[in-house]
Amino acid sequence: MTSTFEADALASLDSLYRTALRLTRRPADAEDLVQDTYLKAFRSAAQFAPGTNLRAWLFTILHNTARNRARDLAREHTDVDSDAVERALEATSGVADLAAAGATPESILLRETLTPELQQAVDALPAQFREAVWLRDVEEFSYAEIAGMLQVPVGTVMSRISRGRRLLFDRLHHLRPAHV
Amino acid sequence: MSDCKSIDPLITPYIDGDIDAADERRVDDHVRRCPPCHSRVSAERAVRELVRSRRAEMTTSGASDALRARCAALGGRAAEDRSPEGSHSLKRARAVAGARSFRRALKPFAVAAGVVLVAGGVFLYEATDRSTRLLAAELTADHVKCFGVVNTLVGTNANAAAVEQVMSDVFGWQMHVPEQAGGELEFVGARPCLYARGKAAHLMYRHHGQPLSLFMLPQLARRGQPSETVNVMGHEAAVWSRDGRTYVLIAKEPEAELEHMASVVQASLH
Repeated sequence: MTSTFEADALASLDSLYRTALRLTRRPADAEDLVQDTYLKAFRSAAQFAPGTNLRAWLFTILHNTARNRARDLAREHTDVDSDAVERALEATSGVADLAAAGATPESILLRETLTPELQQAVDALPAQFREAVWLRDVEEFSYAEIAGMLQVPVGTVMSRISRGRRLLFDRLHHLRPAHV
Repeated sequence: MSDCKSIDPLITPYIDGDIDAADERRVDDHVRRCPPCHSRVSAERAVRELVRSRRAEMTTSGASDALRARCAALGGRAAEDRSPEGSHSLKRARAVAGARSFRRALKPFAVAAGVVLVAGGVFLYEATDRSTRLLAAELTADHVKCFGVVNTLVGTNANAAAVEQVMSDVFGWQMHVPEQAGGELEFVGARPCLYARGKAAHLMYRHHGQPLSLFMLPQLARRGQPSETVNVMGHEAAVWSRDGRTYVLIAKEPEAELEHMASVVQASLH
């Protein structure tokens, strides 16, 4: 492992930490997750293909670690039926709701949103939508990169981003009924 | 004209501009004629623009200096772990020698009790200022958590000598890490834990599927306190102090069995 690799990897520390914080929602857990990520990354540095996207590679390790951790912890806790979450969202976040948003242009509706409100709404999203929206709109990864990180098909990535954004719209626009 | 259902999967890539020209035209044509889909596109686009416009504000906080330092330290250490040469091989040799002596001492209890041994090095936090029960409860939670995540960190290729190096580099703590115990005790791995305001390291073993943790802490407020065994969260925890360190042994075993293990572990460690 070269010191350049190490320095390049550490350059992603802030964004890895912020993403870990979105995943875990607890600073101590996020720090733990990031530290595990770097330990694994440095140990498997030889597996990184130079010239490919180091940042995406680190994010993949972060998500793998988080996923394995969640799976292990799930053995001791009640698991969430993610299909049920999807179905519930399908039912509540339909086209009709959005059509009923009114004639006011949607962007005007959201313009007054305060950043802390937005952050809270993002954090309140179910995990799979939260991470998809975050990786796309904040970390600006491509669909294919996100698919690699989350180990799901590209179509699933797009539908999670789509539902995550629609869910955010619903929540944020309900915060501002007076503007409708 | 395309129907809403066939347009649906195209909407997000359409908004993100990640769509080919033909599909883009299809979506354009459709949303011009279909108010609900038009609304949907506008809503999703508004959220996308909102999040992106607030990106700078949402990413002002970053990793702490402490986390940065810890992660940077991991780099050099991992490189050394992989190096077959240098001073590390000396330490590795010592680790193997240490493993042998620990193995001999541990084998009878391993055969008798059938345990997973998790030997943890815990360094510098305030836990020892607290009551024995609180200390035991916090470490039991740590034990359960760390054992739950062990596979994610080390897999099955854990190397006792490398772990010993980690203990020395990160915790400043010289210790022997047994790797095998005559086929009875399998070394599972190690992980540095963040706990309270300090850090801990776990060494984990597997034997017939039962977990057991040994935590070691700098002896602070417990100086002079007697050995105790307490029941917390369905686990038994034995707490004792010796030679400037406090030890906490935790397992889901009957009290008598745990105290027996504690005496064997004490004999192995001292």
